[in-house]
Amino acid sequence: MKKKSVSSSLSRRQFLKGFGSGVAGSVALNKIASALPLQKTLEKAANDANRTPLNLSVNGKTYRLSVEPNRTLAEVIREDLQLTGTKVVCNHGECGACTVLLDGEAVYSCHILALDAEGKSVTTIEGLLGGEELHPLQKAFVKKDGIQCGFCTPGQIMAAQALLLKNPRPAKEDVLEGMSGNLCRCGAYPKIIESVLEAAKTD
Amino acid sequence: MIPEIGYIRPRNLREALEALGENRETIRVIAGGTDIIPGFHINSRRFRDIRTLVDISGLPDLTFVDLENDGLHIGGAVTFTDIVKNPIIREEYPLLAQAAFRVGSVQIRNRATIAGNFVNNAPCADSVPPLLVYDAVIKIQSTRSEKTLPLEDFLLKPYKTQLQPDEIVSEIVLPPLKKEYRGEFYKLGRRRSVAISRITLAVLVKLQDRTIEDIRIASGAVTPIGRRFRELEDLAKGETAEVDFLKELSVKLGEEILKITGLRWSSAYKLPVVQQMFYLLLRRVCNR
Amino acid sequence: MRKKFSIVGKPVVRRDGLEKVTGQAKFADDINVPGQLYGVMVRIPVSHAKILSVDYSAVENHPAVAAICHAGDIPGAKKVGPIKQDQPVFCYDKVVTPGDVIAMLVGESEEELLKLRDLVKVEYEPLPVLTDPLKALKSDAPLIHPDQKSNLIVHHRLRKGDVDAGFAESDYILEQTYTTPFIEHAYIEPEAVIAVPREGDKGVHITGSIQNPFTTRKIVAKVLGFPLAKVRIQQAELGGSFGGKDDIMNILSARAALAALKTGRPVKIRYRREDSILESYKRHAYHLHYKVGFNKDGKIKAMKIDVVADGGAYSSMTPFVTWRTVVQATGPYETENVWTDVRGVYTNNPYTGAMRGFGSPQPIFAQESIMDEIAIQLGMTPDEIRRINGFKPGSVTATGHKLENHDVNLLTVLETAVTKTGFSEKWKKNQRRGKMLPDYAALEEISANPGPFILHKDDFLEPDEVYRKGIGLAVSFRGCSLGAEGVDAVAAYLSLQQDGSAYLLSGLAENGQGMRTTYSIVAAEVLGISPDDVFYLDLDTGYVGDSGPTVASRATLMGGGATRAAAEILRSRLENVLRQHWNLPENACFVFRDRQVYAENNPERKIAFAELCDLAYNQAVNLAAIGWYAGPKVHWDETVGQGPAYFTYVYGCQVAEVTVNIATGEVYVDRVVAVHDPGTVINLLGAQGQVYGGVTQGAGYGLWEEISVDKGFIRELNFDQYLIPTSKDIGEIVPIFVEGEDQYGPWGAKSLGEPTLELTAAAIANAVRNATGKRFFHLPLNLEEILLSKKLHPTSKNRGSA
Repeated sequence: MKKKSVSSSLSRRQFLKGFGSGVAGSVALNKIASALPLQKTLEKAANDANRTPLNLSVNGKTYRLSVEPNRTLAEVIREDLQLTGTKVVCNHGECGACTVLLDGEAVYSCHILALDAEGKSVTTIEGLLGGEELHPLQKAFVKKDGIQCGFCTPGQIMAAQALLLKNPRPAKEDVLEGMSGNLCRCGAYPKIIESVLEAAKTD
Repeated sequence: MIPEIGYIRPRNLREALEALGENRETIRVIAGGTDIIPGFHINSRRFRDIRTLVDISGLPDLTFVDLENDGLHIGGAVTFTDIVKNPIIREEYPLLAQAAFRVGSVQIRNRATIAGNFVNNAPCADSVPPLLVYDAVIKIQSTRSEKTLPLEDFLLKPYKTQLQPDEIVSEIVLPPLKKEYRGEFYKLGRRRSVAISRITLAVLVKLQDRTIEDIRIASGAVTPIGRRFRELEDLAKGETAEVDFLKELSVKLGEEILKITGLRWSSAYKLPVVQQMFYLLLRRVCNR
Repeated sequence: MRKKFSIVGKPVVRRDGLEKVTGQAKFADDINVPGQLYGVMVRIPVSHAKILSVDYSAVENHPAVAAICHAGDIPGAKKVGPIKQDQPVFCYDKVVTPGDVIAMLVGESEEELLKLRDLVKVEYEPLPVLTDPLKALKSDAPLIHPDQKSNLIVHHRLRKGDVDAGFAESDYILEQTYTTPFIEHAYIEPEAVIAVPREGDKGVHITGSIQNPFTTRKIVAKVLGFPLAKVRIQQAELGGSFGGKDDIMNILSARAALAALKTGRPVKIRYRREDSILESYKRHAYHLHYKVGFNKDGKIKAMKIDVVADGGAYSSMTPFVTWRTVVQATGPYETENVWTDVRGVYTNNPYTGAMRGFGSPQPIFAQESIMDEIAIQLGMTPDEIRRINGFKPGSVTATGHKLENHDVNLLTVLETAVTKTGFSEKWKKNQRRGKMLPDYAALEEISANPGPFILHKDDFLEPDEVYRKGIGLAVSFRGCSLGAEGVDAVAAYLSLQQDGSAYLLSGLAENGQGMRTTYSIVAAEVLGISPDDVFYLDLDTGYVGDSGPTVASRATLMGGGATRAAAEILRSRLENVLRQHWNLPENACFVFRDRQVYAENNPERKIAFAELCDLAYNQAVNLAAIGWYAGPKVHWDETVGQGPAYFTYVYGCQVAEVTVNIATGEVYVDRVVAVHDPGTVINLLGAQGQVYGGVTQGAGYGLWEEISVDKGFIRELNFDQYLIPTSKDIGEIVPIFVEGEDQYGPWGAKSLGEPTLELTAAAIANAVRNATGKRFFHLPLNLEEILLSKKLHPTSKNRGSA
């Protein structure tokens, strides 16, 4: 591969040609399309007729939506509601990053059709915050350093929340089991487990 | 990517059956969705023809657990979490509770249903070996008919059962089991959690002193589908549960499996290990 | 005497904890820009082929397609790479591995594009597929990159002393071959990037899950034919990287930027896990042949090492990864005579590059396994053989580097680990074992008929024979930072505010390891404030000097050094203000502590730090500074592989205790005691986190993880098949820090991230040897490896196949 000079006007011209831009001359002016509204872009191009109304209760608030049946709960939470704390990592029900509470139980939201959540109560990481006040689990994860990169953290905390709702004073084995559906590649497991035990102590 | 589909949420079993009856070819029941949704995402051939889903998860007439005179009735859409928690199942049918506890993770157990597990009929379905040794009978309903048949007959081959497109497995009946039966469930996975089974075994034994009065043996993940080993059971009945015989029985299990599967890529590992682990399982059951 | 610190070395909670526990942290795919389009890749299912034609007619006028980007759109470099430019941004003449991308469809609906991409018709001529690097080296092998002379990417040679004479003088010679697999980084966050075309002549702004923004900038600028300053890269919150979000992100950023400039609209690319595993690079698979000569007294006389690294389809970081291998291949053992060859080779496998460890986990597995075998052969314990040969102060490495001017702590970490675990007693006790591990492999080989799979009665293990305990250790030395790889310097920008709060930004990137917190501690320590007073800025290549990549466990050492330098510049300015203010002489000293500043010899005389900042601000003193930290010169003679390769080293020892189920081959890690010398611990919580993470990933390497390849195609494309450890898979991890003195880094703080990973698999393998009496040569030690000494792979590609 022959190297091209980065700064030569030749390559600059080729660049413009390559993009089929109408701009001539020595200044490479970027072509910028007028921006479309965000919501329009986020909406699916799919047939509206296939949409089904959905009353989705998330973090105590009811949203009136209209969604295609093939959309997962994770997609609707992230894209339609812009609650991006819930993460999609494997989209295969293997890693737990998309964990939310559905009627108080931990579920993989990538595994669930959004329409299935009609009439149920969904809690995401954003719903744990009580106003300004951190939830005891959130406090514990900070205090015990149950975080590294933080990408799996919302799912970890939601799995922990489901665990503590059912079993407020879990033994370490219960926590290991209850958290084992949530992968953490940073390997923060010992501190995640400690965080959950700490929250159980203070809760 | 999930294809464009329709979604029907019936209010009860009857509505679900009616929906199925109307669109036989392209409709499919979804319960927990733990097989179907990931299957869609990887464009699995098994789910390509689906155009409509009927969601039966949480339907009250499919989520009961009732102890009756003829045994324990478990609704088809009962989740593994509910099975793990159920005191009657833990007490009377502990192998099923143990197997349920080893399914995936909490999140999967909260969604995955017992009938979904064997209707999907993956070779590694964890609930199948315990259900088989408990002689589970299943009730299948459609708008046309209602029938019951042994689970063993219902399972045909990997990912294939007798279920017709318009039918739903509405319940599983576990016949009463005499207190003298003792059992064990064993699962081998590559990891300790969220593990697909490499081998599962379930054994129920009724001993009179050291004599095997009755024995029921089932496995999963080592044969194309989970199955009972009747010939082995017949061979064992009346024998003494001593070490030498238990080894003989274990070898026979290996031979049976080999006969069924022929040589597979995993045989070099699974065959010796299944014999070994079956032997250890028998030792535990018989020595307790 | 160690310096007394007020914050350094204590547990400090993460500065970015709040946004991470609330779900507010913005990772790349959490960012959406009005008008954004998506990019979806077009690939063909082939490992090696000549592209004959590409027909876009079925999609080019489709309403869902806003643009199609391909090699023809590239104004600048069509091929990129950190060392050799051999990787096309879009393939145009050949495809050399299944992850290769021919074009990208751009449009508003990602879903639509995913359906449409199959309509692009690519005509190609399949070429012979090379998956074995040893075969790829043969002279008649087809060339993967026809513009190169051979499939050899690089060949590092190290020649020290006279190995032939060394072997001739040895009482014994041991020769063994080990292999390690490809490994997926498996960062939890899949790749995502969004490129936004900027107004007028401002170029392009890119935000993404990018490990090394300055490297990305170089690549994007080259591809676009832009000056560097016209490409601004901002790092989104990064969901794990471990060396993995380098090349792949550079290329994805270049594709997104091309599309953004072509369409005039923001373009986002986000990968699904399957795309991620398919296209992203891996840790190298290695083939390692070791020949070691040693005497009855345990002294090693000579080592001859031949390593072949599978570089996969592109060279990426292979020349540097394998360079670290050649430097460290003997392990931390004094050896007069060494002859090492390390070759990196092109194949049609997935390409390989940087991953945590960077060329060390592979040789450590081999070298530490062999050291144990030597000990066993001589009737010694593993710690004894390492005491005899291990580096001491003044020892000379295989590269001829005399170890001095830092604490050569190898034997200290070894003794600490051995004492803590009661190693020798346990090891000796486990060596006296009962019934051997069943050898099903031998059964199988007797004949092709399946009968051998059926056990004989005396093959059966009894219940009390199933579980075996084992203990094993591994030690290493590791060169810190980049060494002779290249320029090694880092910038840090620190800006004090009138009220005593501060902005801090380093040119290195937060990868999730806790670097922001570490740097905040360093700045706070110098200025006597709290890390809570330090607000860390988002990394943007426009705002701070090029500091190279965040790799090689250099963040604390180099970036910490730069941060300390910046803080000291500001402290000195504040001291000058105070001398004038208090009328003190030029040589007056001060104590900065607890947000107060004291005259050194008069603690009564004090001023609040905030007040001092206000004073300085009002005197028009510049309260912003850029700290710079450059590593000392290193030297390398590549013809013989001699020279002081790195300016300082760290040492570690891990002891693994395992339980092996010899009936099934399951290995459970009961405990890992990890003793490391990171120089100085800056944040105890962060340091522990590094150990937990390194050991967990190292255990994954040892026991489960493997990217297996079938004719170039990866079998494990998601986490149902690529198994990483869960919270239940590893027992206790015990981090122990032995701190040393070093002249480099902030107060002598060095490296920790990679040393914690590189030892674990080797320690586990030695523990399994101790438990079973059998040596294993091929990672990972999964169920089949333990019982059959080989891997078994499904013949069907269906997932979940039993």
